[in-house]
Amino acid sequence: MISKRMFPWLDERLGISGIYKTIFDRMVPKVNWWFTLGSATLFLFALQVVTGIMLSVYYVPSPDKAYDSIQYIMNGVAFGWLIRGIHHWGATLMVITVFLHMLRVFFYAAYKYPREITWTTGVLLLLATLGMGFTGYLLPWDQKAYWATTVGTSIAGAVPGIGDFILRALRGGNDLSGVTLARFFSAHIWMFPLIIIALIGVHLYLVIRIGISSIPKENE
Amino acid sequence: MARSANVTRRGFITSVMAFAGSVMGVVVGLPVIGYLISPALNAKKSDAWIPAGKLDTYPLGVPTSFSFTRTQVNGWEKTVNSFSVYVLRDASNQVKVFSSICTHLGCRVSFHKSSEEYICPCHDAHFNINGGVVSGPPPRPLNQYESKVDNGNLMIHVIEA
Amino acid sequence: MNDVQKVQYKERYLRAKRNGEKFFPESLYRDMLVMFAIFLLLVGLSIFIGVAAEPKADPSDTTYIPRPEWYFLFLFEMLKFFPGSLEWVGTTIIPGAAVIALLLLPFYDKNPARHWKKRKFAIGFMSVVVVAMVFLTIQAAVTTPPQKNASAVAATLPAQITAGQDTYSVQCAECHGPDGGGGVIKGVKGLEGFKMKAINGQDEMYTRTDNTLYNIVEYGQPDLGMPPFGKAFGGELSRSDIDNLVTYMRYSWDNRVQMPKEAAQANAIPVLGPKDIPSYSVNIAPIVKRYCVSCHRPGKENNNYLMGGYNDVMNSGDHKPNVVAGDLNSNLIRMIHGEKITAGGAMPPTKSLSPDLIAIFERWVKAGAPEKPAK
Repeated sequence: MISKRMFPWLDERLGISGIYKTIFDRMVPKVNWWFTLGSATLFLFALQVVTGIMLSVYYVPSPDKAYDSIQYIMNGVAFGWLIRGIHHWGATLMVITVFLHMLRVFFYAAYKYPREITWTTGVLLLLATLGMGFTGYLLPWDQKAYWATTVGTSIAGAVPGIGDFILRALRGGNDLSGVTLARFFSAHIWMFPLIIIALIGVHLYLVIRIGISSIPKENE
Repeated sequence: MARSANVTRRGFITSVMAFAGSVMGVVVGLPVIGYLISPALNAKKSDAWIPAGKLDTYPLGVPTSFSFTRTQVNGWEKTVNSFSVYVLRDASNQVKVFSSICTHLGCRVSFHKSSEEYICPCHDAHFNINGGVVSGPPPRPLNQYESKVDNGNLMIHVIEA
Repeated sequence: MNDVQKVQYKERYLRAKRNGEKFFPESLYRDMLVMFAIFLLLVGLSIFIGVAAEPKADPSDTTYIPRPEWYFLFLFEMLKFFPGSLEWVGTTIIPGAAVIALLLLPFYDKNPARHWKKRKFAIGFMSVVVVAMVFLTIQAAVTTPPQKNASAVAATLPAQITAGQDTYSVQCAECHGPDGGGGVIKGVKGLEGFKMKAINGQDEMYTRTDNTLYNIVEYGQPDLGMPPFGKAFGGELSRSDIDNLVTYMRYSWDNRVQMPKEAAQANAIPVLGPKDIPSYSVNIAPIVKRYCVSCHRPGKENNNYLMGGYNDVMNSGDHKPNVVAGDLNSNLIRMIHGEKITAGGAMPPTKSLSPDLIAIFERWVKAGAPEKPAK
């Protein structure tokens, strides 16, 4: 077999077996099903990335065309309804799994020494996920999206003193317009995903370095 | 015994994981391929008779330019395509309609009265008044449209693939 | 946490790890099963529920009730408890404090204990917060008023053309005629006797873009007698409605554009075979929708004869009954034949129905004016 001879050659140069040992072949404490929520969230994120990239193939972020392009995805393109369906419901499920994951960590006290930074990056990931939800909600440019975002940005505008400024910065002007759509689009497909990917990197590095927490015993 | 049970369990687990992984891969992967190539599969043919005005208005023996537009829906957008043709009417009211698109690389040819030739500006191709290649790189004569005369009106048959 | 406790924790954790399992395959196996279940759930949700169709964003629609995405509903609902002058507490202070409290949690929670029995305050506090969030979310969902005049969304081109034709028949046909042919206007306040030009020819279709047509409908042409139809200007049409209307006009009247076959079929008035028995729902309703409803609906001059449904067609109006089963001398039949009677003049007033449509009406009345086709 060629692969039998290829593998040592590649391994010598790429260090595959080293990676395998540190990531997959490590011992972890015996835990329960609640500890699968983190990887479930990671899985959902990966699915959101794939379906999101697919949606961007046809989607146009302009007030004139955004709605039409999504109608086209839903009715004109083969399996467009499936891709958008997975993206839509995946977003909902991801918020749920992120939140439950946080509750699990809280109730098992897993945020305590030595996992403080893992927790902090996790909270930032939760916020970034909500940011994804908020910016993604506007993109279909339908009635629900338009009015929910109008109200959502107004909430930010209620901050005393600088509220008006924040409102204008979020909307890119006084009104919800094509400028708002463009910047929400950019935030949704570039800024938040990059932040999330970087944070996931730190989060997972720490999970592997420190190991997942064990279920606390009564004397702990 | 314990060891072999362990091996079977490990084998079972990995095959379940491989199964779940490949199901997900296929259920996402195949639709994604269909999704990406879908516009290529759905491109529609259109076919119409375009009214090109009274036949009498076209001079005898002189190719006369006529332009029209067709609208097609591509995805979420209406695309307007412009067509330009040369109509050549002879004494016996036989009509030939030539596409003005050069058969070489798709530039627009124009008719030059002085030499009685269609000349393509891109690679200096020359076609004679009946569309045949005189000189230059084009592989075949100018394309012709089917035409008919209906109540004195010239109609041009346009097929868009 | 002091150094002794740290060392103790590390020892305990090492023991737990030694007694544990391999990440691959044991631990990853559970992860994979959960992922697979989630994946099946997602595909199931996409297939069986899908994404609800919504009309296009319409900034001029002031009746729409805005709702945030469901996971922000608890915040939205919480704001109900703050009076206007304190709104900033609900919008800024509480969410801001919650975020900071979460971020810094490991740094101020100095309790070294990990088992829930020794963390009763923390667990209790968090549980109350979660219950409150769930409660607020449910309350918000329950108290959400239903969306008013939520119109069906026409998603495909044929559906848009059909929706556009329905809009045209109601809103436009009384002045522009059932198919855009124009004619002398009768029975419309302020425009009585005005000779309306045709709008379905090349003159209009070749020289007006979709945008132009859209704007004419939305803003109207008041100097020419055409009122604005956009909601923002007092009309009845939303942006989607006008978009569909323009699509209908373009595909029906512009000979440079091909009408999709499905749309042509959906809009056609059903053909009646020589032996078929006509019924209201199959044969009469499509004709009425296209030729009559524009005037015979509430708020128009029509002697209170409404033609929105079977019961109205049979029993409404100042001169009712206008349709009598089996009686070819009933008002409606006489008027579509162009007779002037006490109930009114020829109908439709602008241009009479074609003979085959009149024949359908006659055969329907003769057959007893049934509502539904006989099985």
